[in-house]
Amino acid sequence: MTVTHRVPGRAARTGTPLTSGGAAARRPRRRWQPVLLFMVPSFLILGAFVIYPIIQSFIFSFQNVTIGGPTSWVGIDNYVTLFKDSQFWNALGITLEFTVASVAVLVVVGFILALLLQGESLANRIVRSIFFFPTIVSLVTIGLVWKFLLDPNIGFVGGLFDLLGIPPVSWLTSTSLALPTVIFVNIWKNLGFAMILLLAGLKGVPQERYEAARIDGARTLQLVRYITIPGVRPTLLFTTLILTIQTLQVFDLVFVMTDGGPIFSTDTLVNLIYRDAFTNYQTGYASAISFVLFVIIVVISALQLRFFRYNDVD
Amino acid sequence: MNKRKLVAAIAVVGAAALALTACSSGSSSTPSASKVTLTMWTGFTGGDRPGYAQIVKDFNASHPDIKVVQTVESWDTIQQKLPTAWLTGSGPDIAAPSSDPNVIANYVKTNSVLPIVTGSGASKVNSAQLAPAAVKELTYKGKLYAIPANFASLSLYYNKKMFAAAGIANPPKTVAEFEADAGKLTLNGGATQYGLSLADNQTIQMWPILQWLTGGDIVKSNGCSDLSSAASVAGLTTWANLVQNEHISPVGQTGAQADSLFAAGKAAMEMNGPWAAPTYKAANVDFGIATIPLAADGSKVTLGSIAPLAISAKTKYPKQAQEFLAYYTAKSTQEKFSLTTGFPPLRTDMTNDSALKSDPTVQIFTSQVGDAKLYLPQLTNATQVDANAYVPLIGKITRGTSVASATAAATSTINSLTGCK
Amino acid sequence: MSTESLRTAPRRPLAPARRGFAALRSSSKWIFLGIGVLAALIPFVWMISGSFRSEADLFKNPASLFPTSVTLHGYIGVWQQLPFLRLLANSFIFAGVTTVATLLFDSMCAYVLSRVPFRGRSIAFWLVIATLMVPFQVTLIPVFIELFHLGWLNTYQGLIIPRATSAFGIFLFRQFFISIPPELDEAARIDGASHWRIYWQVILPLSRPAIATVAILNFMNLWNDLLWPLVVTTSPDMLTLPAGLTLFGGQHITDHAILLAGATISLLPIAIGFFLAQKYFVAGVATTGLK
Repeated sequence: MTVTHRVPGRAARTGTPLTSGGAAARRPRRRWQPVLLFMVPSFLILGAFVIYPIIQSFIFSFQNVTIGGPTSWVGIDNYVTLFKDSQFWNALGITLEFTVASVAVLVVVGFILALLLQGESLANRIVRSIFFFPTIVSLVTIGLVWKFLLDPNIGFVGGLFDLLGIPPVSWLTSTSLALPTVIFVNIWKNLGFAMILLLAGLKGVPQERYEAARIDGARTLQLVRYITIPGVRPTLLFTTLILTIQTLQVFDLVFVMTDGGPIFSTDTLVNLIYRDAFTNYQTGYASAISFVLFVIIVVISALQLRFFRYNDVD
Repeated sequence: MNKRKLVAAIAVVGAAALALTACSSGSSSTPSASKVTLTMWTGFTGGDRPGYAQIVKDFNASHPDIKVVQTVESWDTIQQKLPTAWLTGSGPDIAAPSSDPNVIANYVKTNSVLPIVTGSGASKVNSAQLAPAAVKELTYKGKLYAIPANFASLSLYYNKKMFAAAGIANPPKTVAEFEADAGKLTLNGGATQYGLSLADNQTIQMWPILQWLTGGDIVKSNGCSDLSSAASVAGLTTWANLVQNEHISPVGQTGAQADSLFAAGKAAMEMNGPWAAPTYKAANVDFGIATIPLAADGSKVTLGSIAPLAISAKTKYPKQAQEFLAYYTAKSTQEKFSLTTGFPPLRTDMTNDSALKSDPTVQIFTSQVGDAKLYLPQLTNATQVDANAYVPLIGKITRGTSVASATAAATSTINSLTGCK
Repeated sequence: MSTESLRTAPRRPLAPARRGFAALRSSSKWIFLGIGVLAALIPFVWMISGSFRSEADLFKNPASLFPTSVTLHGYIGVWQQLPFLRLLANSFIFAGVTTVATLLFDSMCAYVLSRVPFRGRSIAFWLVIATLMVPFQVTLIPVFIELFHLGWLNTYQGLIIPRATSAFGIFLFRQFFISIPPELDEAARIDGASHWRIYWQVILPLSRPAIATVAILNFMNLWNDLLWPLVVTTSPDMLTLPAGLTLFGGQHITDHAILLAGATISLLPIAIGFFLAQKYFVAGVATTGLK
C-alpha cells in the first residue's frame, strides 16, 4: 500500500525537513479556518499546564518568593546575583561540558552503529534491540544500578578489578573521574536511541544514489562521505537537536549518582535549580537560573539550525 | 491501525475519561461527625520505619475517635511538595518537613506551622522532660514549633575480630587512643582494611565529632564561623593527615558507602546511629558498640540528630493533632519505640526504665543523649552552610588542599551566609 | 514510503583477497559490537540477579554476577510493603490512557502544523518546541497550585489530562507528515473530502510507523515518570508503580535486594511490551522518514 507513495519526481525533491511541500505553500495563508480547531486540545493543554506555569515561574524570577509567605518584587536582583554566583558559572561550565561530550559521542558512535547494523538480518535486528534496551528503562533505575555497579564495596566493576588485580578506582568519589563517569552512563543509556533515530534517516536515503556512485567506482568510505552523510543531514539535525535539548537539562542521573558532588564537580544547572528551589527555599532565584538556562537552550538550538543550514524554516 | 480500531480506541479514551472524572479516588480529611482523620507525611523510609508505623497503629487503637494515616515518601518528594501543599491548604495535618530540623525556621517564618501546646497532662507535650538540646533547637521566639520525631546519637561501632587481630583489647577511650587505633587498624594502606569509615556527604555528619573531640567547632553561637580558630585548624589538620597519609578511611564516601564499608567487614570502626545495628547483624559482622571516646579536655561528646514533626497551621483539627504529638512523646510510646528501633527515647526521665536498661543497644545510645550536640543548631541557612561550606571543606582537606586555605574559604562563605560581622 | 529502499543492494562476488579482507572487517565489526552488547546487557543481568541476593552475598562476592543462593526476600518485601497490584493498575491506566490521548491530540495538531498554511504557523510550532526547553522542576509549583484550584489533585484526571499531549509527539508527527506528498490531499479534496476526512482516512492510515513510534516512546516515558505522579497524588494508593518504589530509596540503604526487586518489577511490563512490539517499532522508526 505504501508503494503508491513513490510519486515520480519525489526523488528530485530536496525539500528540507522543516519545510512543507511546494503545492501547499502556494495556497494563500488565511488567518482563520475551521481546521485550526484541530490544534485546540493540544494547545489548551500545553497552554494551561506548561506555558502558563512557565510564565508564572518567569514572574517568580523577578521576585523574592517564599512559598507560603510574602512575595516581594526585586526586579533584576536575582539575575544580578546569579551572574556573580560562582556556583552558577561552575554549573554552566559543567553542563556545557556534559552536553558537548555526550552529544558528540552519541551522534558519532550512534551513526557508526546505525551504519553497521542497517541490514535487516536477524542478527542485526537482535543487536539493535539490545542496544535500544537501556533507553526504555527509567533514568533513576539506571542511575541507581550503575551507582551500585561502581560501588567500592558491592560493585561488580570493583569486584572485577579486584579479581584481575587492578587497583580499585574511585569512580564517583574522585573529583576528576566523577564527571566522565556520569557522562559515560548518560551515553550508555542514550546510544540506542541515537542509533535508532539515525537508522531511520539512513533508511530514507534512496538506493539509486548508492548504485549510481558505485557504478562510478566509489568505495565504501567514499560512499559514506559523499552520499550517506549529506543524505541524512536532516536526521542528523533532528537527532542532535533533540539530544542537545535533553542533555542540557540533565538532572535525574546526576542527582541519583552524585547529587552534584564531589565538591560540585558534577553540579549541572538543573541540579543547582533543584537545590536552590527545594533545599534552600529560594524559589525566585531558582526561577531566574532556569530562565537563563532556557535562553541558553534557545540560542544553542538556533545555532545548530544555522549550522545545519536550515534558514527557511517554513 | 484501521479506521474501526481507531474509533474504538477514541471511544475507550472518551469513556475512560468520563468514568474517571466521575470517580476520583483521593483521601482528603473529610470531617465526619464521629471520626476525625489526620493525615501525616514523613520521610522515614529507612530501617526504623516500623517504629513509626507502630506508634500510629497504637494511637489509632487507643483513640477510637481519631484516625492517623501516615504517608511515607522520600525526603526529596516531601521537600518539593510540602510548602506548596501547605500553602494551598491541601497538605497534611502533621508532617516531618525534612530530616534537618533547621528547616522549621522557614515554616515558622511563613506561619505554616502551629506552636505546640506544652505542659503536663495527657494532651500536652511535656517539653520539660524532652532532651534539652532538641527542645532548644525547635523553639523559636519562646514557642515550641515541632517535636523531635526521633533523637539519634552517634556511637562508635567497632569490629571485634579486627581489634583482636591487632592486639587491641578495648575500643578507644580517649581521642588520643582513637587516633592511634585508627592508624594501627589500617592494614596495607587501606587495601585490606581501613581503620575508620568516614563519610563526608549525603550523610548524618561525622566530621563535627572529630572536631569537637579536638577542641574545634564549626559555627559559634553568634553565627560566625569557628573553623579558622587555632583549635579547629589543628584538629582538622590532624584528622586530614590521618586520612591522607595513613589512609585510615576512604575519601569522599557517602553515608551509605561508609555503612557498606563497615558491613562488608572492610573497616574496623564507624561512628553511626542505632539504625545501623540490624544491617550489620544481617551482614554477619562481629561488632560491638562503644561510646564515643572522650575529647582532649576529657569531656564526653557526640553528635545528636533530630527530625522535626510539626502541625500545619491550616489543619482543621489542631486539638487532635496536638493529642497525637502528646501521645508520641509519652513514656510508654517512647519505651516501645526505643525497643523496636534501638533509638534512645526522647525523654530524659526514663533513665531507670528497666526494659530499656536491659537492651544494650538502646543503653549505649541513650547514655550519650545528654552529651549530644546538634550539627549547626538554630542556624537558618544550615542547608546552605552545609552544602556550600562544610561539605566542600572536608572534601578539599581530605584531597590535599591545605587546611589553612580551605578553612579560610569556608569561613568567608559561612560568614557571608549568616551575616556575621 | 517504498519498501524497496529497505533492501540492501545485491552484492557482487568478491575476489578471494578481498573476501578475506571483508571477513576480517566483518569479524572486527562483530567483536566491536559484541563488546557493546555485553556492556549493554551486563548491568541488567546484575540488577536482576541482585534482586535475588542477600546483603551478605553482595558484600562477600561483588565480582560475581549470579547469586550464591537465591533468596526471594526482595520480592516479598516489595509485595508486603506496597499496595502492589493497585500501583500496577494505576501505572497501566495512567500510561495507557494518556498515551492514547497523546496519539490523537498530537497527530491532529501536527496535521495542521504540517499541511495547513496559516498566519502564525511558525510561531505556533516554535512555541510547541519551546515547551521542551524548560525542566519540569521549574514549573512543578505553579502546576501544583493550578491542579489544586481545579480540584484535580490526587485524581486520575489530574494525572492524565495535563500530560495528554506531548511536544515531542507533535514534533515527530509533523516531521513525518511533511514527507507525505500533498498530491494525496489534493486528490482527496477534489473528491470533496473535508480536512477531518483527509486526516482520518488518508494521512493516519499511512502513518503507522509514526504512530507506533510515538506510542512506544510516550508510553515508556509516562511509565517511567516518577516526579509527576509523586507531585499530583497525595495518597499512596494513587501512585504509579515506579513512583511507589521510591519508598525504598533513601540515604542509608539497608537492603539492596528490595530496591533491585522493585526496579526489576517496574521494568518488566515495558520490557515485555518492547520485545513484543519491537518488530513494528524498530522497523517502524526506520520508515518514519525523518527526512
